[in-house]
Amino acid sequence: MKERGERPRWREDFPIGWEQDHYVTRRELAKFLTLGSALLAGASALIAFAGRLWKPERRRRVRIASASAVPPGGSLLFRFPTDEDPCILLRAPEGSFEAYSQVCTHLSCAVVYRPEDATLACPCHKGVFTCSEGRPIAGPPTRRLPRIVLDVRGDDVFATGVEL
Amino acid sequence: METRKQGTTLFTAIAVLIGILVVIQLWLVAAALEALLSGNRGALLPAAVASFVLLGVNAGLLLYIVRFDERIRRLDEPPDE
Repeated sequence: MKERGERPRWREDFPIGWEQDHYVTRRELAKFLTLGSALLAGASALIAFAGRLWKPERRRRVRIASASAVPPGGSLLFRFPTDEDPCILLRAPEGSFEAYSQVCTHLSCAVVYRPEDATLACPCHKGVFTCSEGRPIAGPPTRRLPRIVLDVRGDDVFATGVEL
Repeated sequence: METRKQGTTLFTAIAVLIGILVVIQLWLVAAALEALLSGNRGALLPAAVASFVLLGVNAGLLLYIVRFDERIRRLDEPPDE
């Protein structure tokens, strides 16, 4: 039997009052969040360190086509810098060359050249990019297409790098 | 006078503030990672510096509430005879 004025039995198992419990929890939460903050700062430092260690890829020079093989308003598919990176070489009606990654920056479908309006179009979700800069101008893509740096020497077209 | 109720309100406000700063740090990490993968290395060092500044602010706030808590506890203790 519980005597008058005696603490109830359950109080022995749960000695911390409701208000005090909240008080402690908030302090612990602040400590936990600060620990998370320290981890995130460490992650940022690691990323910055990785950026310093990461050496830029040495530029390769790959012949991709002869200029005469691509008529004005035509295009040619090639792979650069590796065999797993599809790209598209475009020849504008006035004769200049541009090349971009063929992988749409939305969901990685292959873009196709539309010389009639000088755009690259993604047939999957109707994304459209300009041929002059690879900028998205319509549809869901928000990032530009990686541009392939070209070097045209005589009748040969070389790819020398990728501008992200 | 600092009371426990004031402390509870203060702790809640500071916990929310630290939470917001942590979310900003999370965004900085995501942006830095994207910059690293896209080859834009100029943004990495400022992101890391900003993240450490936010960590400093968070640590300062935590230190403040720990000290505040100690003061409150001292006030709650019965006076020595």
